[in-house]
Amino acid sequence: MVFLSRIADLIDALASRHRLLPWLIAYLMLLPLPFIMSTFFNSYLIDLANRSCLFILLAVGLNIVKGFCGQVTVGHIGLYAIGAVTSAVLSLEPGGFGGALGFGLPVWVSIPIAVLVTAFAGLIVGLPSVRLEGAYLALATLGLGESVRIFIAVTPALGSSTGLMMIPAPSIGSFVFDSFTSYYYLVMTAALVGIYFSFSILRSATGRAFQAIREDTIAASVNGINVIKYKLLAFVLSAIYAGLAGALFAHMPPGYLHHNNFTVIEMVTLLLMVVLGGIGNVWGGVIGAIVVTIAYDQTKDLVVYFMDRPIVIQPLVFGLSMVLLVLFMPRGIGGWFEGVLRNRRFIKRSEEKLGGTARNS
Amino acid sequence: MALLETRNLSKSFGGLQAIDKVSLKVEPNTVHGLIGPNGSGKSTFFNLLTGVYQPDEGSQISFNGIDITSSPAHTIAELGLARTFQLLRLYGELSVLDNVMVGYHPHTKYGPLAPLINGAEVRRQDKAVREEMEELLEFIGLAEHAEIPAAELSGGQRRLLALGRAIAMRPKMLLLDEPGAGLSPVNVDNLMSTIMTLKKRYNLTIIVVEHILKVVMSTCDTISVLDHGQKISEGTPEFVKGDSAVVEAYLGREMADEDIRAAMDA
Repeated sequence: MVFLSRIADLIDALASRHRLLPWLIAYLMLLPLPFIMSTFFNSYLIDLANRSCLFILLAVGLNIVKGFCGQVTVGHIGLYAIGAVTSAVLSLEPGGFGGALGFGLPVWVSIPIAVLVTAFAGLIVGLPSVRLEGAYLALATLGLGESVRIFIAVTPALGSSTGLMMIPAPSIGSFVFDSFTSYYYLVMTAALVGIYFSFSILRSATGRAFQAIREDTIAASVNGINVIKYKLLAFVLSAIYAGLAGALFAHMPPGYLHHNNFTVIEMVTLLLMVVLGGIGNVWGGVIGAIVVTIAYDQTKDLVVYFMDRPIVIQPLVFGLSMVLLVLFMPRGIGGWFEGVLRNRRFIKRSEEKLGGTARNS
Repeated sequence: MALLETRNLSKSFGGLQAIDKVSLKVEPNTVHGLIGPNGSGKSTFFNLLTGVYQPDEGSQISFNGIDITSSPAHTIAELGLARTFQLLRLYGELSVLDNVMVGYHPHTKYGPLAPLINGAEVRRQDKAVREEMEELLEFIGLAEHAEIPAAELSGGQRRLLALGRAIAMRPKMLLLDEPGAGLSPVNVDNLMSTIMTLKKRYNLTIIVVEHILKVVMSTCDTISVLDHGQKISEGTPEFVKGDSAVVEAYLGREMADEDIRAAMDA
């Protein structure tokens, strides 16, 4: 705890030199990660890090609509699927396996188009929020998200049950991002930029408007906030994150997409990340994404034997941890840490007022 | 010219006529009181003025010469009509400073996408707004608590913050829905004097709903009385005090005259 708040103080001190200094240092510290992993552990961990980065993008994006703006959406994974399939199909060569569509566009063109398409889809997912709230909104968005997956699963042009294969990797000149290590730099950069912009949104009138809507919609509208406009904007912004994550996922080695990557289980995992991290807390979402991705990976093969029959207990473990979290840590890691920081700041200020007399007591 | 004018303002919920053809004029730079027994439609009246509810057919509301009858709440707010709520409706998890900064929202000069496109400009403008809002908090006496969540304030401080958030909107007119509810008599007096100072400082026109008749009688220039959604009396505090229709609405027909005077002065 003390260690964490030391780090927070250090970041504050760095940020007072230059606003971007902590970000630069974080980036530099993350650069050698693949080499450390492949040297001391194994290169599978790099793939895990890449997937963590994608889930960071997803969680940070979901946090905008759910955490900042308070709209309960369970269709986010559908947007992720739209981003992935759109970019894959646009970049595949025409006449691929199993009747899959292909337009042969360069990857650097297909990704932005996929992001735009997903942003538009986000607008559609957001439309029910104009009339619905809470659990009703969750159901409506769940339906939309799940229908995306089912649509992909039954459409041969989008891969159906065999999935999309041989999705090209992005490249700059002759350098191709086709290995775990090279792709790491792509997704890590994207994740860091995503986090940065999430903070930019939070610390602006836009972010305050989102939070006002979350706290009290009627008060927000009376304060001059166009509630419908800002709700839809939150959905579109989070869809941009999901679209980018999806597109990056599609081109990630081994360049294979299957609709099983976009099920309700994935959605619940994503929700767990945001809840564990602390709803509305950006860093919480990031920590949640990393912790849950690793936990998900490690418990994948967790099997217990009941009457000599193997039972996969991962869904049980995840469901249980979700329930326990909501019961005992409703504001997540981020909310807890924010409380610690606030108390420290309060003590510091009181100490300054008392001229340091409180320090020894 | 009246700053706010309603004509035949009506609102029914199913079979209940909550507001029945109320016509009202409020002149600039005055304090107008709105009183009436519980359930007489005072809060509904505010909700109609601020666009939280849509009025029925045939109603008309104009504010500062602009027809706002069917305008959405945020448009009305942008025109300079601010309000507080009986139950405050503060943004509990946001800091005190952020609460008033949300109040400033209608005057934000950058677009909603500016944080993604032009971060430097957002930071520059927000810094200026923050300084201005800190000054406002200083003025209403909440500067010390700027960083803590609004939910952690005491009852009296919350009422002040609700007022501050409305003032941050730089309104032309301020609607106060029971500003003194739940406060001790001393605190009510302090709050009313704060309100009157704010009125002078920001050139406000005020409509106030209040149950504490003493407060209404001493601060208002004119008073309207609602009962069962209808305006039953209107005039100076002296006139309203003596109006038999008002007395009847509050206390019933049987009550003796002296008792009524005593109740009004209490």
